Formats: sequence, C-alpha cells, structure tokens
Amino acid sequence: MIEKMMNTRLFHWVDERTQLGSIIKSQLTEYPVPKNFNYMWNFGSLALLVLVLQIVTGIFLVMYYKPSAELTYGGYTVAFDSVERIMRDINFGWLIRYMHAVGASAFFVVVYMHIGRGLYYGSYKGPRELLWIIGVVILLIMQGAAFFGYLLPWGQMSFWGATVITNLFGALPVIGEYLQQLLRGGFAVGDPTLNRFFSLHYLFPLLLAAIVGGHIHALHVVHSNNPEGIDIDQEKETIPFHPYYTVKDALGVGVFLLGYCYFVFFNPEAWGYFIEVDNFVPANNLQTPAHIAPVWYLTPWYTILRTFENKLIGVLMMGGSLAILFVLPFLDRSKVRSARYRPVFRQMVILFFVSVVVLGYCGHSAPSATLKIVGAIATSVYFGFFLLLPFVHKFEKTKPLPEGI
Amino acid sequence: MKEVMMKSMRLSLIAGLLLMLAPAMASASGGGALKHTEITFDNETLRKGLTVFTDVCMGCHAAKYLTYRNLMAYPELGLSREEVDELRGDKGLLEGLITELSPEDATESYGKVPPDLSVITRARRGGGNYIYSLLTGYESDPHGKVEDGNYNAYYPGNRIAMPDPLAWFEHDESETADLEEQARAVSSFLTFIGDPHQLERQRIGIWVMGFLVLLTFVLWLLKREVWKDVKH
Repeated sequence: MIEKMMNTRLFHWVDERTQLGSIIKSQLTEYPVPKNFNYMWNFGSLALLVLVLQIVTGIFLVMYYKPSAELTYGGYTVAFDSVERIMRDINFGWLIRYMHAVGASAFFVVVYMHIGRGLYYGSYKGPRELLWIIGVVILLIMQGAAFFGYLLPWGQMSFWGATVITNLFGALPVIGEYLQQLLRGGFAVGDPTLNRFFSLHYLFPLLLAAIVGGHIHALHVVHSNNPEGIDIDQEKETIPFHPYYTVKDALGVGVFLLGYCYFVFFNPEAWGYFIEVDNFVPANNLQTPAHIAPVWYLTPWYTILRTFENKLIGVLMMGGSLAILFVLPFLDRSKVRSARYRPVFRQMVILFFVSVVVLGYCGHSAPSATLKIVGAIATSVYFGFFLLLPFVHKFEKTKPLPEGI
Repeated sequence: MKEVMMKSMRLSLIAGLLLMLAPAMASASGGGALKHTEITFDNETLRKGLTVFTDVCMGCHAAKYLTYRNLMAYPELGLSREEVDELRGDKGLLEGLITELSPEDATESYGKVPPDLSVITRARRGGGNYIYSLLTGYESDPHGKVEDGNYNAYYPGNRIAMPDPLAWFEHDESETADLEEQARAVSSFLTFIGDPHQLERQRIGIWVMGFLVLLTFVLWLLKREVWKDVKH
C-alpha cells in the first residue's frame, strides 16, 4: 500500500520538495529493528498514543473549562461548576473528561512500564545514555503536567495537594520563599495559582510533544536495544519497522484500549485511585482534609519526602530520587546490558521495582508508625540500588552472552 | 530466564494491586461498617427518590447541578412537562434545584450551611450506602453524651447537625420498611444525579468493548500473519 502511495504524482511532487520518500524509508519501511523484542517493547508506542489522546481531549476540555476560583452558590467555584457542566450538559463531555482523567493515570502506567523495561534490559547504557536522559526529562515534565492538571477542578484534593507541594519549595534556603510565592502568585494558593497552573498545564504537553520528537530521533540514531542486550548485526538480525512492528504495536494498542476503555466506561474513578473521593468536595481553604495524598503515580516520591523529619532534607531527597535517574547511565559500569545475563543486577532491579510499589502504597495510605518504617526501608532500597550500582561489576559474574539473537 | 522475569514482574504487579486494593476496601466503609442497600436506577425508584428529595432534603439542601429541565431530559427520570411545571412553580427551567433556606438562616439554625447534594455520593466514601446508613442511623448515644436526634451511628464523630430527616429515631416497627425504602430511593436518586450519564456510559461501553475485542482479535491474526516468516 505504501509503495502504491509513493508512486503517485502528488507524492513525487511533495517528495521532490521535502524528500518525504527517503524519510519514510529511513524511519519506517527500511528502519531496522531487532527481531527479538518481547511485548515489553510495546509501551513506547502506547505512551505516544496516550500523549496524543491527552492533547486532543485536553483541547476540547479547554473549550468549556473556566479557570476561576470565584465562589458560586453552595461553596463551589466557577472552575468546579465548569467541570460539572462538561460532565452533565456538554454533549459527550463526560466521555472527553473521563478519557482525560483516566488517560492521566494510563499515561503513567505505560510510561512506568516503559522505564521499567529500560532499566531491566539495560537500555540506558551506552550508546543510549542521552536517549535515557531525554526520557527522564519527559518523565519530569509529565509529572509536572499531571500535578498542574489536578488543580484545575478546584476540589479539596486539588487545593490541598497544590498547597502541600508548593509549600515544599518554601523549604529551600534563600530563594525558597520567593519561589513559593512565584508559583502561587501570592501568599496562598488561590485564583492566581489556578490561572498560572492552567497556563502551564497547557504549555507542558506542547513541550512534551517536542521533546518526545527528540527522544524518537535519538532512538533512531543509536537504534533499539533488545532483550538480550547485545549489539546486533544491523543487516541480518533486524527486520524493518514497517510492517513488522507497526502491526505488533497496533496489537498492543488493541490490548491497551481494552483496559483503558474498561476504566473510561465502567470505572472512571478506579475506586478513588484516578479521581479521589475528596476531590468532589469543593475546595475550602478553612478545612484541611483528614488525609492529603497525591494521586497514585506521585505517591512513591511523596513517601520519600515524608520519610525525613526535616522538611529541607525531605525535599532534597525527593528531588534527588528523581535527579539520580539522570546519572544512572554513568553509575552502571558493567559491560553487559540485559539483566538476563546479570544475576546480581537482576535481583537488585527487581528489588528496586518492589521498593517503588511499596513506596507508592505507603504514600497513598494515611500515615502510621508501621508505614513510616516500611517507607523508610523502601526508601533505603530505592537509594541503595543506585549506590550499589557503581560497584556491582567488580564482583558480579555475568553469564556468557549469546552470539546473536 | 524470560519467563522468570515475567513471573517476578507479574508477582510484584499482583502484590502491588493487592496492596492498593486493601485500603480501598477498608476506606469504603468509612468509620464503622456501613449498612448496605441496593442502589437501583429504575424509573419507579428514581421518581420516589426525587419526591423524597424535593419533599424532605430540599427543605435545607440544594442540588444545584440538577436543573428542572434535566428532570425531563434524563430518560431515567423522564418527568413530563406538566410534572416539572408543578414542581418548579415560578422557577426557570434552567435553574438548579435550590432550597428556599438561605445560607444565613441555615447557619443560624444549624450552625453550618448544609452541603449541596449534586455530587454528594461521589464526595463521600461509601457513596449511596453512606447516605442510606446516615438516614437510618439516628440512635441513642450509647455513651449518653450526644442528645437524641443529634447522634448518628454513621456520621464521622457521631454528632450530626442535620435533624433526623425521615424521623427514623422515633418511628415504630410498622414504618420501618417504608422508611428504609424511602432512604434507599433517595440514596439511589442521589447516586444517579451524581453522574447522570452513567447508564448511557455503560450502555455505550458494552459496544465499545465488544468492538475492541473484535479489533484486537483481528490485529492478533494480522500480526501472526505478518510475522509468520520471522525466525526468532
């Protein structure tokens, strides 16, 4: 079908002016991809799909959403009212809004799987260091975008979540207070905060789109890693991206949409995990909710923050837990990439995954003495993974690598 | 090796899910375990719930996101124009169901403004069951501290400002079934208006899922066909 399209006169006309043909060849029909991917390699394309879904649904939501904290009848606000109007009165507004709300969580599900795959198979290691670093930038922008977005309905969790997080910046020395006021647009979270968060919530996805382009470009320069983690013969051990991986990615999309649509149509709140119960209570600056927790995808880092009594240390450790991902490619000195051939690393990385899940659980639950200890242990495991990494290659006996794939 | 990895990933996924579900289940019951009622969206129940809402709840509470026109427009409720005209009096069709009680008078009488009930079942853990439990939860304080009529077994802290709306506390045996049905109906009604397109959503959802199952199956066949010559 592509060949047929590429033989039309219109295509030739465009091709002579843009070299579209050679782009299609080099990036799709002749772009070499290892033939031995497992299904863990599907999450990148899924992340791109969800990004597009979020941008498209978001654009429609903005047509009706009103960022204003002005009070209306019943203790609600213009912002809250406009969200309810989307849910009730706009044709299929409920569908667009639930797609967007569920999409936020779905985005993190697929991106965390994507990152986990990169960790397990050593995709961050040379020559893909910069590819990984661009990915970490994407993760941080995503977390920011999600945080800004959660303020917009102006419910109790929106308001108090934003209050807690902007408070953190106040803990930084010297510039802390200034930074906090800059973020809030005042001394407390209020109407100016809502407006600047809305602005940033629109900006960040555009940044994402651009940086994702860079991520894909970087990938296509250094080419994909593979489950064996070995350098492969680019002629004999690869297959073209199209049609092999386009069709495999499409199958992944089908499976993903089954899960996504289950939540959109049958369980959009996901038992309070995607949309928290307290966020149906209008924001009230005089009434602190009994238990403030961010949405699930931010809870691991929230636990790291809460583990430390000293606020400044907590903030620095939380920032450090994300920042350390930038230097991961340089911490790991082993010549072998895939955990399949690294018995020690394999145990470490699985323990690391478990620690993130446990941290997430602790951050979601109301604080208790036991959870504090559990959280502290999980925090140590989290950082322990990175601290041990530079030394593993010294004593790890890697398994013999296969000749080819 | 690959299988071991998949297995351990699956294990940690399952463990994670279980960990996540545990608090969801615990928190669904709020403080004490809630009573359970059958929330249904049949026309009879919803109309009965609407009547309880307008006759009882609306004395103090509003449901501002539910307009008079909605009462006709939502097929689940399906009121006729005449019925709506009778309900709304001189209020506009596009106005929400708002109480006559002013916030100032409410504060003077009860010490606080009664919350709007448009999304109340979504804003409380337990949803419809919470409302049902609350309405049928007026008892004598076992510790004798809170006076009768202000003690509710299911309200957090047990001291509730809302006066017993269905007169549950003093009812006699013969009224129990009727009051329980009123509580169930209004809990169902409030659950419905909290997300008034939920039935439509689920109806469409079944078709969407059906289509996706087919699509995924076809894509699986296609993938197998395209990949059949690749040796790996």
